[in-house]
Amino acid sequence: MKYALSILIFLPLAGSVILGFMRGNDRWVRWSAFGLTVANFLISVTVLFAFNTATHEMQFVERYPWAPSFNIEFAVGVDGISILLVLLTTLLCPICVLASWTAITSRVKEFMIAILVMEAAMIGTFVALDFILFFVFWEAMLIPMYLIIGVWGGPNRIYSAIKFFLYTLAGSLLLLVAIIVLYFAGGHTFNIQSLMGQSYSATVQFWVFWAFFIAFAIKIPMVPLHTWLPDAHVEAPAAGSIILAGILLKMGGYGFLRFCLPMVPQASLTFSPFIMTLSVVAILYGAYMALAQTDLKKLIAYSSVSHMGFVTLGIFVLNSRGVEGALLQMVNHGIVTGALFLAIGQFYDRTHSRLVEDFGGISKSMPIYATLWVIFSFASFGFPGTNSFIGEFLVLVGAFERHLLLAAAATLGLILSAFYMLRIVRHALFGPVVKSLSTSLADLNIRELVAVIPLVALVFAIGLYPGPWLSVMHASVNHLLAQVGAATPLQITEVWTWP
Amino acid sequence: MTEGFFLHPAAVFFLGAVLLPWVRGRLRGVYLLLIPVVAGLALLAASPGVYGVYAFLGQELILGRVDALSRLFGVIFILMAFIGIMYGLHEKGKTGHSAAALIYVGGALGVVFAGDYISVFIFSEVMVFSSVFLIWLQRDAASLAAGFRYILMHLFGGVCLLGGVVIQLVETGSTAFEPTAVNGIGPVLILIGFLVNAAVPPLSAWLSDAYPEATVTGAVFLSAFTTKTAVYALIRGFPGTEELVWLGAVMAIYGVVYAVLENDIRRLLAYHIISQVGFMVAAVGMGTELALNGASAHAFAHILYKGLLFMGAGAVIQMTGKRKLTELGGLYRSMPITLTLYMIGGFSISAFPLFSGFVSKSMVLAAAHESHLTTIWLMLTLASAGTFLHTGLKLPYYTFFGKDSGIRVSEPPANMLWAMGLAALLCVGIGVAPQTLYALLPYAVDYAPYTTHKVVGTLQVLLFTALGFMLLLKQLDPEPKISLDTDWFYRKGARGLLWLAAHPIARADALLGEAYLTLILNPTERLVQWLWVFERRVIDGAVNGVASVTHACALRMRRIQSGQLQHYALAMVVGVSVFLVYLILF
Repeated sequence: MKYALSILIFLPLAGSVILGFMRGNDRWVRWSAFGLTVANFLISVTVLFAFNTATHEMQFVERYPWAPSFNIEFAVGVDGISILLVLLTTLLCPICVLASWTAITSRVKEFMIAILVMEAAMIGTFVALDFILFFVFWEAMLIPMYLIIGVWGGPNRIYSAIKFFLYTLAGSLLLLVAIIVLYFAGGHTFNIQSLMGQSYSATVQFWVFWAFFIAFAIKIPMVPLHTWLPDAHVEAPAAGSIILAGILLKMGGYGFLRFCLPMVPQASLTFSPFIMTLSVVAILYGAYMALAQTDLKKLIAYSSVSHMGFVTLGIFVLNSRGVEGALLQMVNHGIVTGALFLAIGQFYDRTHSRLVEDFGGISKSMPIYATLWVIFSFASFGFPGTNSFIGEFLVLVGAFERHLLLAAAATLGLILSAFYMLRIVRHALFGPVVKSLSTSLADLNIRELVAVIPLVALVFAIGLYPGPWLSVMHASVNHLLAQVGAATPLQITEVWTWP
Repeated sequence: MTEGFFLHPAAVFFLGAVLLPWVRGRLRGVYLLLIPVVAGLALLAASPGVYGVYAFLGQELILGRVDALSRLFGVIFILMAFIGIMYGLHEKGKTGHSAAALIYVGGALGVVFAGDYISVFIFSEVMVFSSVFLIWLQRDAASLAAGFRYILMHLFGGVCLLGGVVIQLVETGSTAFEPTAVNGIGPVLILIGFLVNAAVPPLSAWLSDAYPEATVTGAVFLSAFTTKTAVYALIRGFPGTEELVWLGAVMAIYGVVYAVLENDIRRLLAYHIISQVGFMVAAVGMGTELALNGASAHAFAHILYKGLLFMGAGAVIQMTGKRKLTELGGLYRSMPITLTLYMIGGFSISAFPLFSGFVSKSMVLAAAHESHLTTIWLMLTLASAGTFLHTGLKLPYYTFFGKDSGIRVSEPPANMLWAMGLAALLCVGIGVAPQTLYALLPYAVDYAPYTTHKVVGTLQVLLFTALGFMLLLKQLDPEPKISLDTDWFYRKGARGLLWLAAHPIARADALLGEAYLTLILNPTERLVQWLWVFERRVIDGAVNGVASVTHACALRMRRIQSGQLQHYALAMVVGVSVFLVYLILF
């Protein structure tokens, strides 16, 4: 178990190298990629079982010097904040492979390599304990994602891929500046844990906060920095959308929790009303945008903006219910939205359509598919008994503790989300059958079911029995809030003193 | 938590729904009827206490609180589920419909036995999302649209409830489902959530809008559970809240007036649910033991006779395919049994002595009298008279008698008649032997319905109403098409004093319907369209604008790289001279 995290990172990476040298048919490539990702998932499950929930300390820590002259290390570890996100990543990757089984027909080997590299980079991002290492993984994610959209994407893929790349890169550069500032202000170290809990000057806190904020807000994405997301989703293949919505968006929320709150607590506290307001705007605005869509992928993309608004709201209410709710909501959103994009992909494989109207009457021809779609729709708008209910409920409790009006406005988002999801459900169950498509509709096969069933199980496992999932994060979240709790708000006069 | 085993009746229904797809053919009917029987036995076997307490997010979920009040509502819900299932037995192979009905009943039972507000919220959401399928499965454009409006209204109510519960939790640290004082925003929101479900005007439009569009069997279920679950929640959570007295009295009148004006038979009955629930809401507001007993008893009796009336109307629709009073008439020849059973429901709801409505409604009236609420008493009595006018006289007259429509059909299938017969039997049974019902009530009953004074008083009101009906028969002729345009009032306006009182109310209701469209739906749609333009032009436009400006600049700048050595040399010389000038001057 000592090297578990390194294995989690390097197994897919090594796999991708071996895959590169593989000759022969695509079948073998698919099966090996599937085997590797499943193996990685199983390893991460053993990590979860060995995880000690009583402590907030980093666990499974490995440290090796990397560039000693700059104090850069290869340092990894997990705590209650990151472990569930790691698990989410390893769970969704085999599902991505299954989703691409027949959908990707050209350059299969290269596609699978991109997925595996992506997995390694994502896990690395969640477990890195060194800021430079984190940044390397953070940037490394861009390349395979850029390729996945740009090579295997839809007709407008180049525009979307470049937009995605440049947008997120712009945020990353600010992040890099913040890292370097912290290096000098925090005693020449990139060690994430020793950078926490230091008392930086007001000016440093101010600027670092805003750099963090823009970098993570683009990734989440928050209104008005969100427009790369719908474009990227529409053009990306199903697997790309699952990774994007399921995992990449969580990087932003993770960044806020791991860096923003503990490193610059005073600034976080000072600007939390602003971010809470922006979150509520995102919840409502995203929901309204989702109402305007006819393309399913765009609809779900905008709904992600809305749901991630709940995450940022929960994080910045700065109490334990809100933060735990936000963290759980990240996992929930990964599961549910991943499943919805998977389902859209399955539908697209059959009909080459993603229009809401074309869902008409599919409950007749594809009963299993329609049932699953209903389940995930209900999970998406937080029906009691499903996972999102728990997350959103906790966030709302946290929000009501902090600010009544904002919380009330966020609650309205729940109605809107039911509105746009039920629109699709109504079409699927009762809409007129689209004649031109009805011939091509076969219900889900075994492979597709295998991809969906774990997600269904998790929807109810978290929804009906949330205790264990919350207990995993409990100690870490409390420790995090203790770090923030002692902070006092910044005085703006402290910041604007020029030499 | 009480020791001992408690099989939750809701669990029986949920499990029954889950296993339903695997039970096919002849077995299906037996299986369906067995579910309420098992649930009923489970309830009978349970002794009072608190069961099924689970820790949930730092709170306690109490799923099984068995006491006199919850047992009463549990009994009637299970009884009505049995009747409703029997009524729908002839429909073969409608798995989705049956499952939705079972889950809906399970949700109602979940609310009834819940001991905390979070469970109440969870189960009421279950009710909302299962019941909408009873409307949608009618599968026509009207039912799809009505179902959507139905669900939006209930989502609003649900969100109010959720918000109220969360605020209550934050402020008091408790989510116990106990009598709650209305002080502060949390309890108010919870109350609004319940009032939406109870269809209190102006939050009532969903009921008269959606129930008539439901399936025949679905309407029977709908008429029984949603509003009465809300009444239960009000009895449990807000007894003695004075505002409810007036709300209830206004509801009672409102529903009656609108029912009198209605032409669609099921919509008439639906409006009248509002009126009947008004009696219960008013009684909850009075809050005395007699009043709460009255509210509970009236809910019990109401579920049976209202179900019976909806079953009768459903049978007519099922057999004739028509639903307007103006298209019906003269059916007494072909559907005499249906007529008889319907009339038992009509007499019950009109509170004729020896029928169930009498022994429950008179309790509410007595409670109003006892609390010296003379105006309320008068309003409720007036509503009683109106009840008899439309449900006991108008609807049966134009459906079964009146001008012969020439429609010749047969009686509905036997299972429908049996279900109606069972409900009718219970209506008469309760009316003849009220002590059986009174024994179930939450408080000890010291009340005798059959005194000379009450019987004579009631009969007087009813007979005068009947007399009025005879005299004004011409004026009561239903309009073939009831449209709520203003000219409607103009045309109708000349028709006599009877309608004068109706006008402001009818207009208000039409306005509410309009308001829903003009204030909520259309603006939302316009806002969405406007924001979508904003999204593309402004937000995304800014991003693409930056990109294209950069691109354009790059194209211009590229020209600098001309490849000519002289150009580069010139640039260097100019640059160096500018630099030197800067150094010397500054």
